[in-house]
Amino acid sequence: MSTVVKIPTAETPNYLTEERGILSWLLTTDHKRIGLLYLASVTFFFFIGGIFALLMRLELATPETDLVSPHTYNELFSMHGIIMVWFFLIPSIPNTLGNFLIPMMIGAKDLAYPKLNLASWYIYMFGGIVALYSMARGGVDTGWTFYTPFSTIYSNTYVVGAALGIFISGFASILTGLNFIATIHCMRAPGLTWFKLPLFVWSHYATSIIFVLATPILAVVLLMIAVERIFQVGIFSASLGGDPVLFQHMFWFYSHPAVYIMVLPGMAVISELVAAFSRKRIFGYTFVAYASVSIAVIGFLVWGHHMFVAGTSVYSAMYFSLLSYAVAVPSAIKVFNWTATLYKGSISWDTPMLYAIGFIGLFTIGGMTGLFLAALGVDVHVTDTYFVVAHFHYIMVGGTIMAFLGGMHYWWPKISGRMYPEGISKLSALTVFLGFNLTFFPQFVLGYLGMPRRYAAYPPEFQTLHVLSTAGATILGAGYLMPLIYFFWSWHYGPIAPPNPWRATGLEWRTPSPPPKHNFEVTPVVTQKAYDYDAMKEELGLV
Amino acid sequence: MGPVVSAKQYVLTFAALLALTLSTVLIGFLDLGWGSMFVAVAIALAKATLIACFFMHALLERKLVKLVIAGAILWFLILVTLTVGDYLTRGWLGFGGK
Amino acid sequence: MSNPQQLMLREQYGTPEQQRESVTFGMWIFLATEVMFFGGLFMAFTVYRVLYPLGFDEGSKDMSIVLGSINTAVLITSSLTMALAIHSASMAKLKRASFLLLTTAFIGLVFLAIKFTEYYQHYEAHKAPGVWFESSSPHANAMELFYVFYFAMTGLHAIHMIIGITLVVIFAVRAYCGSFNSEYHTPLEALGLYWHFVDIVWVFLFAIFYISGLHT
Repeated sequence: MSTVVKIPTAETPNYLTEERGILSWLLTTDHKRIGLLYLASVTFFFFIGGIFALLMRLELATPETDLVSPHTYNELFSMHGIIMVWFFLIPSIPNTLGNFLIPMMIGAKDLAYPKLNLASWYIYMFGGIVALYSMARGGVDTGWTFYTPFSTIYSNTYVVGAALGIFISGFASILTGLNFIATIHCMRAPGLTWFKLPLFVWSHYATSIIFVLATPILAVVLLMIAVERIFQVGIFSASLGGDPVLFQHMFWFYSHPAVYIMVLPGMAVISELVAAFSRKRIFGYTFVAYASVSIAVIGFLVWGHHMFVAGTSVYSAMYFSLLSYAVAVPSAIKVFNWTATLYKGSISWDTPMLYAIGFIGLFTIGGMTGLFLAALGVDVHVTDTYFVVAHFHYIMVGGTIMAFLGGMHYWWPKISGRMYPEGISKLSALTVFLGFNLTFFPQFVLGYLGMPRRYAAYPPEFQTLHVLSTAGATILGAGYLMPLIYFFWSWHYGPIAPPNPWRATGLEWRTPSPPPKHNFEVTPVVTQKAYDYDAMKEELGLV
Repeated sequence: MGPVVSAKQYVLTFAALLALTLSTVLIGFLDLGWGSMFVAVAIALAKATLIACFFMHALLERKLVKLVIAGAILWFLILVTLTVGDYLTRGWLGFGGK
Repeated sequence: MSNPQQLMLREQYGTPEQQRESVTFGMWIFLATEVMFFGGLFMAFTVYRVLYPLGFDEGSKDMSIVLGSINTAVLITSSLTMALAIHSASMAKLKRASFLLLTTAFIGLVFLAIKFTEYYQHYEAHKAPGVWFESSSPHANAMELFYVFYFAMTGLHAIHMIIGITLVVIFAVRAYCGSFNSEYHTPLEALGLYWHFVDIVWVFLFAIFYISGLHT
C-alpha cells in the first residue's frame, strides 16, 4: 500500500528541520510547530487527568471508602473533570490537528494571526500552570461544575486558584476561535469557495463560533464566583438574596456549547477519515456542512437540560427539553451521512478507519442516551447518577478521544514524515475499543439501578458492575499508553512516509511529508470540489 | 483611501449623543415605575446605535461584519431571554413549588 | 519614507487589502466576544433588577448623577477625538492625528480620575460591598448586591479603559513617527473600533446604574 514517491533528503528543508534550537520552537509563529507544542501539552494533561481517573476507579472497586477519604475522592473527580474538559478535550483536536491542518487545507501559508496563535499557546500554558499549582495545593472538591454556594462559601479548597487557571486558559480558546474564523473567511486559496472546503474546515468553523460566543460567559461567571469568594458577597448564594440557580444558568450557557466544542472537531476528523477510507465523497456533503453549523447554533439553546431538577420553572424545563430533541437531529444527519458514505465505498481497514467506525457506533450510543436524559420524566430518575456519567463518556471518550487518535494516526505521516507501525496500532485500537466499552457500559446499568455519581461509597450489590468498570479502565489505560510509545518510536525509527500515503484528496496531501515551513511553494488554485475521488482516481493511483 | 465620513458628521453625532444623555437624566426624574428602566435602556440603545453607525461606520462595512454585529446582539438576547424567562415563569403552575 | 503599507504587510497575507479586511474583521469578532463578556453581567444584573426593584432603586439613589453625567459626556468627547484622529490620518495629517490621539488618552484619564473619585466616595459612605458595607435600610441586602454589580461592571470597564489608553498612547507615538499614512492606518481603525465599543458599554452602564434612583 505505501509506495514511496519521493524520499526527502537531509537537504530538503521542512518545517521541522528549517530552524533548529529550543528558541526556534518557543518563539515560532509557524502554525504547524504551534500545533506540536499544543500536542505535547494536551498529551501531558491527558495523562494527569487519566491518573486521577485510575485512582477513582481503584477506589470504586470496593464499596467502602478504603483507598482515599471521601474528601480526597471529591478532589479526585473534580480535578479529573477540570483537567480533562479544559486542559485536554477542548484544546485537543482544534489546537493540534486544527492548527496544523486548517491553513494547509485552505491553501494558505499560515493562520490569519500567527503571533496571536503563539500567544494562545502561552496563555493556555499559563492557565494550565495555575491550575496545576492549585492541584498541588490540594485542588478543589466542588466538581468541575463549581456549583454555588458550596464552591463560594462552604468549600475549604483552592477554588479561586482553579477558577483562575481555567479563566486564563479560556482566553486561549477565544483567541483560537477568532483566529480560525478570520482565517477561514479571509485566507482561502483562489477558487476555494465555501462549498469546496473539506468538512474538517466546516466543523472547525462551527466550533470556532462556539469558542468566541460561549467562552466569555465562562470567563465572567468564574470571575463572579472568585469575587463572591474573595469579598464574601453572595452573588450566587442566599445571604444577600443571590440565586444559586443563576450561577447554573450562566455556567451551563457556556458548558453546554462547550460539549459541542469537544465533539464537533471529532466529527471534523471523522468526515475526513470516512471519505478517505471509503475512497468516496461524503454522502450529502452540503447537509453535513449545514449540520455542523446547526449543531453549533442550536447547541446554545439547550443549556437548561442540565438544570431540570434545580428549581427552574416548568415551562423553562419543557422548552429546554424540546430544544434538546431538536439538537440531536443535525448530529443524527451526520451519522446517517457517514454511514451512507460507506455504502458501495471501497473500504480499507487501516487503523484510522478502525477508530472512525468505533466513533460512529459509540457516538450514536452516547447521543441516543442523551435523548433519554432530555426527557423530563426519565431525567428526574437518572440525573446525577452513573447513567449521565456513562452518557457523556460515550461521547467524549468513545467519540472525541477515538476521533483524536484516528486523526493522529491518519495525519501522523504528514506531521512527522514517518509511518506508525500498523500491526500494533490495530491492536491498540482494539484494546481501546474493548477497554472503553468494558469501562463505561456497566455504568449505564449502574446509573439506571440508582448508583449516584460523585460517591466514593456504595451498596455492596453494585460492586460487580464497578469491578467490571475498573477492569475496563485498566485495559483502556493500556490502550492509550501504546500509541504514546509507538508514536515516539516511529519519530526516529518508523518507515519514511510519502507525500500521500493514504492516496486521499485534500490540499494537505499535495505537500511533502513533512511539509515545508510555508506549506506551498506556489499558492494552489482550486477548481475541484472536495473529496473528488471519482475525478481523481488516476491521479491518486487508485484502480 | 480617502476619509470615509466627513468631520462634520462626527461633530453632529457628538452633539446628538450629548443631547440624548441630557434627556436620559431629565426623564429619569419622572416617576415612571417599571417604565423608567425601559426608557433609560431605550435611550442608551439609541446612543449605542449612533456610535456604532457613525463612529464605527457599521453601516458602511461589508455584509459579513454586519452579520457579526447582528450575531453578537442576537446571542446576548438568547442569553437574557431564556434566563430571565425562567425567572418570569416560575410559580405559574400553582402547585409543587413550580 | 518607504511605504508603510508594504513594510507592514505580514508574510501570511497576499495583498494589503486582504490584510486590512482580515484585521478589521478580527477586531469585530473580538468585539462580539466582549458583547458576550459584558453581556453576562448585564444579564445577571437584569435578573436581580427584576427580583429586587426596590433595593436596586435605593442603591441607585446614592450614585452621583452629576459625576456620572459628566463622565458620560467625557467619554463621548473622547470618542469624537478618536474619530477625528482617524479622520486626520486618512487625510494624511499624521501629526494632527497623533495630537488627537493623545487628547483622547488624556480625556480617558479624566474619566478614570472621576471614576476612582466616585469609588472612594462610595467607600466612605460604607457602600463598598463586602466587609465595608453598612446600611440600615430594609433593602440592605439587595443594595449590597447592586453595589457588587456596580463595582464589578464599572471595574471591568475601567480595566478596558486602562488597556485602551495605553494602546492609544502607543499608537499616538507611532503615528507621530510615521508608521501610518493616508493609505494605511488599519491598526488605528481597529483601535478606534475598540475605543468606541468601550464607550458603548459605558453608555449602558450609565443607564442601568445612575438613572433608576433619580425619581425617588
